[in-house]
Amino acid sequence: MTTLSSSTRESKPLVKKFSPVVKAAMEHYAQLSDDLNKASDHENVVSLRQKAKQLFLQEGFPTRRDEDWGYTKLTNFVQTHYRLEGLSQITLADIQKFLPSYPATRIVMVDGWFSESLSDDLSVLPKGVSVESIDDILEIPASMDKLIGPQTQIDKEPFGVLNTMLLSDGYFLQVSRNTTVELPIFVLNVQTQNQHVSNLRNRIIIEQNAEATVVESYVSLTPEQNEEFSGLTNVVSEIEVGQDARFNQVVVQAQAERSYYFANQFVYQASRSVFNTLYSGTGSLTSRHQNHLQMDGEHIESIQNSACYASGEQIMDSRTYTEHNEVNGVSQQLHKYVLDDSAIGVFNGMIKVARAAQKTDGQMDNKNLLLSNSAQMDTKPQLEIYADDVKCSHGSATGQINKDQVFYLQARGIPKAQAIRMITEAFLLEPVEDIRNPEIGKWVSAILSQKLNG
Amino acid sequence: MLLKVENLQAQIEEKQILKGLNLEVKPGEVHAIMGPNGSGKSTFASVLAGREDYEVTEGSVEFDGEDLLEMDTEERARKGVFLAFQYPVEIPGVSNKLFMQTAVNAVREEKGLPPFDMFDFDEYAQEKIELLNMRPDLLERSVNVGFSGGEKKRNDIFQMALLEPKLCILDETDSGLDIDALRVVANGVNALRSEERSFIVVTHYQRLLDYIKPDHVHVLYNGRIVKSGGFELVHELEENGYDDIIQQYQGE
Repeated sequence: MTTLSSSTRESKPLVKKFSPVVKAAMEHYAQLSDDLNKASDHENVVSLRQKAKQLFLQEGFPTRRDEDWGYTKLTNFVQTHYRLEGLSQITLADIQKFLPSYPATRIVMVDGWFSESLSDDLSVLPKGVSVESIDDILEIPASMDKLIGPQTQIDKEPFGVLNTMLLSDGYFLQVSRNTTVELPIFVLNVQTQNQHVSNLRNRIIIEQNAEATVVESYVSLTPEQNEEFSGLTNVVSEIEVGQDARFNQVVVQAQAERSYYFANQFVYQASRSVFNTLYSGTGSLTSRHQNHLQMDGEHIESIQNSACYASGEQIMDSRTYTEHNEVNGVSQQLHKYVLDDSAIGVFNGMIKVARAAQKTDGQMDNKNLLLSNSAQMDTKPQLEIYADDVKCSHGSATGQINKDQVFYLQARGIPKAQAIRMITEAFLLEPVEDIRNPEIGKWVSAILSQKLNG
Repeated sequence: MLLKVENLQAQIEEKQILKGLNLEVKPGEVHAIMGPNGSGKSTFASVLAGREDYEVTEGSVEFDGEDLLEMDTEERARKGVFLAFQYPVEIPGVSNKLFMQTAVNAVREEKGLPPFDMFDFDEYAQEKIELLNMRPDLLERSVNVGFSGGEKKRNDIFQMALLEPKLCILDETDSGLDIDALRVVANGVNALRSEERSFIVVTHYQRLLDYIKPDHVHVLYNGRIVKSGGFELVHELEENGYDDIIQQYQGE
């Protein structure tokens, strides 16, 4: 590599080339953006979407040549053009089966739009807690800066760009200083319309020494026997966890088996804050859940776990990017996948320790269980360390079910199939143990077990 | 007759290990099977329990009037065959409680009894924990995870107590145990002895047998039982080792 060649590359920006199918999909979503803008009177929202559109038309959807997307194919995804329409009418009875077994404040988003009638009355929340719909915020031009975080990185992700281009609704949660929100906030995101995009933009601000728990559930309300139902969910969340604040989050993705799910969570932690997140992935044909975590202070703690089960032809991708930027940070990760049939699991994790982040303790573990010979796991745990006094580890192990364990259970009278289920379930549920609220832990375990036991 | 083994021949990966083993066990009897390393002791225990790696090529095993070799591993366990493992297996994430409640209910189902719910099971398990003098938190822990070698084997004896089998096979349960753990295992076995329950104790050493005092002692060599006798045979072996018996056998 010579200086000459690299400078040549810089001076001539690469023009990306797209296949006709990808190009058609890109133009379709650009058109949706234009349609949204036609219906909007707010110049700054319009210009935000337009800027994103320009970027999107350059950068477009990732292709298989993009290293970050090599294992998460979008070939099927780009063939369907998902519509973006208004709120569809469903009732509380329709979503009853998706509601949690524990008390919670309920927010319901239908096809990407905030549903006032299905959500709890958000005007009577306890002091210090406020929830608004993003759609409402967009109505008030002066509140635009509430929407976008100060150091936003959304543009770095192709689905982030798409999300801004189609900016429509989502929820905004703010918890004031010293406020502890006792009840978990349960956000149900339900797909109801076939070939429709739910474009969600969320923003969560947990102020100094505040505490909250949010459970986000992504599901599909499919007409019976419609196995072809496919919805697209594209969600971007920006989360700020202030000094000494605690934020617990559980994301349950259990959408219909031909749906798509793309999520980017940008999380910023301040000194002595604690962030604990679990991703439980069982649904969608192709799904990708990404955490972008910046630990921008001292003595920060974070837990990022995943429990994923995929079967059939599913592609299940969960990835984390964790930046330790100051001293004495502790980050812990356990990502577990159980893969059956021809499913593909993808994990990619990067822990980056800045020069200033001495005494960092960063642990990342990925463990995978393959239940069939044609299942596949692609995994890449990475460390990038610039400080010299740190304790970091990363590891990955993929294997099949342990025959000795199965025999041991059989030798006590437990049938083979049940023995395999018990061992598999115990393997998959380990990351759930880090959930602090035992009722939520039980609820998530039940969802995973039910899926596993078909 | 509880167990009748006739001309049992078995192999693993084409290697013949058992070469015509005969054994009869009546209800309530305790049999010890001794022998040098590689004589086929553990293979015999594994074949009785139904480990799939072994292929039975000849012979028959009748258990309680039924063809044992026709049964799956779990069916054997449900009908009352119990194997205490040489190396009990760790199962992360599965609690002893869930494991044993599932197993006990499988056996109860076989006997036509209603399943134990959580409370019934707790009460039942508590009796056994006291009987065997086990740690009270045993049920809450993951199966054998983080257990010492001795704890793992005691856990197996605890499982044996819970499942109340007809035939208990102890596969070198004594190996690697310190004297305290050995006593606990021996006391457990003695506490479970009854007129209906039989034991096959597979071991390399006499240590455990001094506590258990078997009714019959067999020496296994080269895949066959080459000598049988009473408890006195244990001490004969202790003094003279296996060499005399082996030479005698090879001479024949």
